[in-house]
Amino acid sequence: MSETRNYDITILGAGPAGLTAGLYAGRGGLKAAIIEKMMPGGLVANTERIDNYPGFPEGISGYELAQKMEQQTRKFGAEIISAQAENIISEGKYQLVKLSDGSTVKSRALIVATGAFPKTLGVSGEKELLGKGVSYCAVCDGAFFKNQPVAVLGGGDSAVQEAIYLAGLVSKVTVIHRRNALRAADSIQKIAFANKKIAFAWSKDILSIEGSSRVSGVRVMDKQTLKEEVIPASGAFIYVGYQPNSELVKGIVNTDQQGYIITDDKMATSLQGIYACGDVRQKLVRQISGAVGDAATAAIAAQQYLELNA
Amino acid sequence: MGMLREEDQNHLRREFSGKLVNPVKIVFFTQKLECMYCQPTEEILTEIASLSDKLILEKHDLLEDKSLVDQYGIDKIPGIALIGDRDYGVRFFGVPSGFEFTSLIEDIIDVSRGTTGLTLDSREKLKKIAKPVKIQVFITPTCPYCPAAVRMAHQAAIESDMVTAHMVESAEFPHLVQKYGVMGVPKVIINETIQFEGAQPEPVFINHILKAAE
Ligand SMILES: Cc1cc2nc3c(=O)[nH]c(=O)nc-3n(C[C@H](O)[C@H](O)[C@H](O)COP(=O)(O)OP(=O)(O)OC[C@H]3O[C@@H](n4cnc5c(N)ncnc54)[C@H](O)[C@@H]3O)c2cc1C
Repeated sequence: MSETRNYDITILGAGPAGLTAGLYAGRGGLKAAIIEKMMPGGLVANTERIDNYPGFPEGISGYELAQKMEQQTRKFGAEIISAQAENIISEGKYQLVKLSDGSTVKSRALIVATGAFPKTLGVSGEKELLGKGVSYCAVCDGAFFKNQPVAVLGGGDSAVQEAIYLAGLVSKVTVIHRRNALRAADSIQKIAFANKKIAFAWSKDILSIEGSSRVSGVRVMDKQTLKEEVIPASGAFIYVGYQPNSELVKGIVNTDQQGYIITDDKMATSLQGIYACGDVRQKLVRQISGAVGDAATAAIAAQQYLELNA
Repeated sequence: MGMLREEDQNHLRREFSGKLVNPVKIVFFTQKLECMYCQPTEEILTEIASLSDKLILEKHDLLEDKSLVDQYGIDKIPGIALIGDRDYGVRFFGVPSGFEFTSLIEDIIDVSRGTTGLTLDSREKLKKIAKPVKIQVFITPTCPYCPAAVRMAHQAAIESDMVTAHMVESAEFPHLVQKYGVMGVPKVIINETIQFEGAQPEPVFINHILKAAE
């Protein structure tokens, strides 16, 4: 399939940001394509319960919210294409997006709403032992480590929260952190410090994850004494933050040091015609409410751009 | 009774009445003794079946109903086969609770319609498969990434007469967890030859199935 399809606007990613941008674009009468490599809904479809999105006083399951967002977006005519966006080529006024199915989508405006994903540490053993003790999801995989020792790598909110969750299942949790204090919220820290199953290894650089067919431990080096040791663990749960899905636009638009796309208050990037919204954008708070707000702005700004540059 | 909240029941009633086409037989395999999760599974299924006239729950014993056990390829319990206008090869082993409850509901709808939301490209590729393919998807009920893998496998089963797809709940079948070395989910095993971890995009998943059928 090497066909090229023409749209007014192409939206990359069908998380809350991409779906909202599609909703506004469709309602505004634009011919819109949304490209999604997994399932519409993005991270939300994978969140068990959402309690802080306005309009749902009893909370709502992430899956249900994602489905409702998708329905609403489709209702206004945006097309959702199931493929991975692999490459972007800027050709004059047009942006060409090459898809994994071999086809190309061409439009004058582009909205990047590709979100973020859990960061990897990049140490040896991490990739090799994925699914063999290395995990990025404690609720998914914790059950495989009942009564065994595990390690949690990281010191932020989610690292400590997951350590508390794991302590209910395993024999011992060692939280390995590169600083000598946690970054997690006070309330969470208190619970963790009071839990007898949770131990802390402070000021450690992580050198590698050890094990041949399965994880046996985490090799660390103390930052002060420079002494190396292996902390025994059958599981290594990695929570070292998120990283933006911005590879696609690297070199095309400006990003910050961590790779988040820099935008102005109209969600415009450094290249005319390309907008960004949601978690992939440089900003303080990464939540659904923010993502949908960004997206409404991006879609309307993009429509104005199309009209002014018709 | 009473596992589902009333508003969820109403929601499902509406979903079913709007979307079901052909009747669906929910064939449930159980055993009288030593099956901790059979009772909760039966409760869930009974409740679902009560929400539409098009849903028929059948209950069979693993040891006593040998011919059906063989016909549907049931080798462990609790086991569920979803049968629409024909047997599409959609199976669940272990209680379909937590995140997998949604997989069950969506599978019922797809089986009833005999079609899925896979892309035309995927469907055409799957229809060409000429060799039997068995997909096993290991899950835990608390895994938010797992339904995507279960659904992909079950949709492939619906689109191809050659493909059978099993959801396998890890905690209930430790011998299989051991056998396949499952330490992270979703874990997908296709025909014992191909295995991979994590939810995969549709084209990647479909290619793995095609590889196994070569
Ligand atoms: C465990 C967890 C719990 C959370 N809980 C809450 C909460 O309670 N309340 C709240 O407000 N927020 C919560 N959040 C944050 C919230 O999920 C995000 O802020 C929100 O999903 C961001 O939306 P987005 O559309 O920018 O990105 P995403 O939801 O990440 O969506 C991006 C989409 O783009 C797709 N994509 C990426 N690259 C490509 C490509 N190359 N081609 C095609 N498609 C691509 C991805 O598959 C994905 O579907 C939570 C996040 C996590 C991880």
